[in-house]
Amino acid sequence: MRKIAAAAALATLVGAGAAGASPLRYPATVTQATGGMRVSTQADPDALLTGVQIFVEAGLERQTAATNGAAALTAECVARTPVAVAGASQPLRDAIASLGGSLDYTIEDDNVHYYIEARPDRMPQVLALFGTALAHPDFSAATLPAARAEIVRHAGDGEHNPLHVGVQMFKESFLEQGSAYPEYGTAGSVSQMQPEAVRSFHDRTYRRGAVWASVAGRSTPAIDAALGSVARDLPDGTLPALDVKARPIPATAPRIVAQRDIARPFVVLGFAAPAPGSKDFGAMLILQSMMQTAFQASSATTVLPNDRAIGTFYMFDSVPSSLVVYVNGGTGVDPSLALRAIILLSKAMSDKPLGADSLRRFQTQAEGAFVTDTTTLADRSYVVGSLAAGALADRSINGAVEAIESATGADVQRVAKTYLQRYIVAFVLPRAGSAQSD
Amino acid sequence: MKRLALAFAGASLAAALPCASLAAAPVALGPRVTTSHLQGDAGTAVLQTASGAPVASLELWFRAPSTGFGKEPVVSLARLAAQAVAASKPIVGDSLGEAVSAVGGKLAITVYGDSVAVSALVPANAATAIAKAMTVAYFSPVLTADGLKAAARDVEADAVVAAYDPDVVVRNATFEQLFSAGPQRYPALGTVKEIAAISFADVQSFATRAFRVQNAVLSVAGTVDATLLASVSSGRPASADAAAEAPVASTPASAPAPVTKPFDAAACGFGWAGPPIADERAATTMDFIADYLFRSETGVVARAVAAKFPSASLSGQFVTLNDPGVMYLGFSGVRPDDVRPLVDAALAALRAPLDPARFEAARDAFEYHILADLQTPSQIADNFGWYAVEGNLAYAPGANDATGPYFEAANAMTPASVAEVAKRYLAGPPVVVTLSPEAKTKSAAGTGT
Repeated sequence: MRKIAAAAALATLVGAGAAGASPLRYPATVTQATGGMRVSTQADPDALLTGVQIFVEAGLERQTAATNGAAALTAECVARTPVAVAGASQPLRDAIASLGGSLDYTIEDDNVHYYIEARPDRMPQVLALFGTALAHPDFSAATLPAARAEIVRHAGDGEHNPLHVGVQMFKESFLEQGSAYPEYGTAGSVSQMQPEAVRSFHDRTYRRGAVWASVAGRSTPAIDAALGSVARDLPDGTLPALDVKARPIPATAPRIVAQRDIARPFVVLGFAAPAPGSKDFGAMLILQSMMQTAFQASSATTVLPNDRAIGTFYMFDSVPSSLVVYVNGGTGVDPSLALRAIILLSKAMSDKPLGADSLRRFQTQAEGAFVTDTTTLADRSYVVGSLAAGALADRSINGAVEAIESATGADVQRVAKTYLQRYIVAFVLPRAGSAQSD
Repeated sequence: MKRLALAFAGASLAAALPCASLAAAPVALGPRVTTSHLQGDAGTAVLQTASGAPVASLELWFRAPSTGFGKEPVVSLARLAAQAVAASKPIVGDSLGEAVSAVGGKLAITVYGDSVAVSALVPANAATAIAKAMTVAYFSPVLTADGLKAAARDVEADAVVAAYDPDVVVRNATFEQLFSAGPQRYPALGTVKEIAAISFADVQSFATRAFRVQNAVLSVAGTVDATLLASVSSGRPASADAAAEAPVASTPASAPAPVTKPFDAAACGFGWAGPPIADERAATTMDFIADYLFRSETGVVARAVAAKFPSASLSGQFVTLNDPGVMYLGFSGVRPDDVRPLVDAALAALRAPLDPARFEAARDAFEYHILADLQTPSQIADNFGWYAVEGNLAYAPGANDATGPYFEAANAMTPASVAEVAKRYLAGPPVVVTLSPEAKTKSAAGTGT
């Protein structure tokens, strides 16, 4: 079994560390209205590619019980919509691939975002194709069944991943309305969804005023111009604002249990967390980093998230935001001891403010973790775009780094006291008869 | 492209083609790339400055057989030694692992058949300090008993995981069949028993010989400039015999036979010997073929297999090596007979020139995939390190942005030249490895277990 080391023992700063070093900053983000659409660009002249995220306010929160999975099914249909390249018709995803690019999408609580990556000279053509499919997705029998099969497959994959199951259990207890649904719906809900329901979801949510974009990498005037036309063919208008609230977490630490075909137990603790740009944001980033490293196995090399005994995710891009701490029983860690250690640490952090030296150590670590986790064009453009609508819109990704730098020891104590004392515990346990090999 | 996604193989054959020295004169690369020596005229440093995320990737590469320098192979020796150096705490200060963790960075050690890579991704404002800590730790290795103990624990844990991973097991078995001798025959990670049997003295001896500045390539990329190189330790003083290690030969098997091994899940692997890294046009074409046929989700074979066997997974690539390279194709969840017809049909079709429009679309996709694999500092530094230890740094994709020898070779391809390379290297029968649950059952029954 891997040992759980105490936070203090792991927090020793290397002698020649980053104290007093130059601040860490990404290239500045510039936000402008292009063709009526808000576009935030983090230009990177040395990049050989351009990464573009197109956000649409058509995420989970716009779904109902009857349209659980519609956000994903709509997006998959967009990706499969036939478009013409050099006189030949092919699905959008394949067409973009044939031009030297790629298309992916992700379903979030408050949006779906399409990630398009391509060589800068190809990006305008790729965006034009994408804009066509976005406005006129194919929901016909030629496309919908295959899209449905793909989404059902994703939904099934999620059910076999204990971390995914645990986080989803927490979300269902913590969130309300459509945000509580899994990103790919369920096999049952997607299988039964009629074409009219998907079409209606698209008609209702894909509006010109509900689209924005972000760019990371090489930026050119031609790409800017093409972005201005991406949403041109969508119906005008915006979507009514939603006020999605979290359910209050009781002081009794509710426990929920599910069983799956897994070998070892998996435990997820879910906490409420502050939104980006709030006065608590930087302190929570520090706390998340502290919890991550406090329970890191004492390996010289970095343990990958899937192999960690205890790991954390700060889902600051969720609405409302949350913090998840997980215990992976498959690593040999004792879940009950690990839970106890997590709770003790959260209480210790709320008892007194961090001293100046400790604060600086944890700030250094949190900043380093943040920037080394956000290096690809996809990640950078996503963070830029997800922050664009909130209080950090002006400072964008650098605002998150600055929030870490400006947090005080008292902030960390206050945030630990405010957010980390109430939690929901989700246990994902082996089903009776599941293999348990040592 | 270039290298194994999973770090358990690689090949070199010095006898067939002399390998470029690690201490060759600095190579002129792109405008944002600085190359120099690490000490006098020894070792190589290559640094690419790039805008973007405020991070730096620092990678130390060493040319060394994963199984050690002795006559008898010691499986896991290189990995254990590299891990032990990172875990050992010097008399003053932190271990390298602690130093990287303290700045929020990430440290990884990857061992291939003929090389060792130590990689740190760190915030840019800590890059100089970590470059110093890394080069001090490796160029003057101080091993401690506690460090070795911690390293053994971690390496053993990784070995246990690898032993249950069909992708790793089938890849190792395929390379074992492809090579009759040399480090490529052996996995980079052995069994727990093998790791436990490695002595402190073995580890120290290997570290002292392998982790020398003369035998090193320091590869750096990120929002840093060449002043960082001034912080690098030059290590122990050079001695007369302190040249870089020559590549250790791995001998391709003359007539490899199909082999079946017992395993819990069905999996299979195919392997073909390919061109050396010095044959840039052929090696680039093999990369193109791997991308066109085997790339996950988009490759011709990948799609055909996904349509017929939705639960199967595929991993295929050309591994660019000193000599010979290897075209590797692995599947899990299927048996060779399931997928062999699909693979053979796709290769047969490729031995005739592709339709020009289809070829151009495939090349556009290929070049994009190469560029997509070069977008982060880690990817860039990794690439430079790999191509340097394999003996052709100037050929590294991205060495001169989207120009340079690699992209020149890609642009020079024609449908006919692709067909010619496919005929030359992929017309013969591959090495075939089968992992079989039935064989495991029979094996267990035979031994009475």
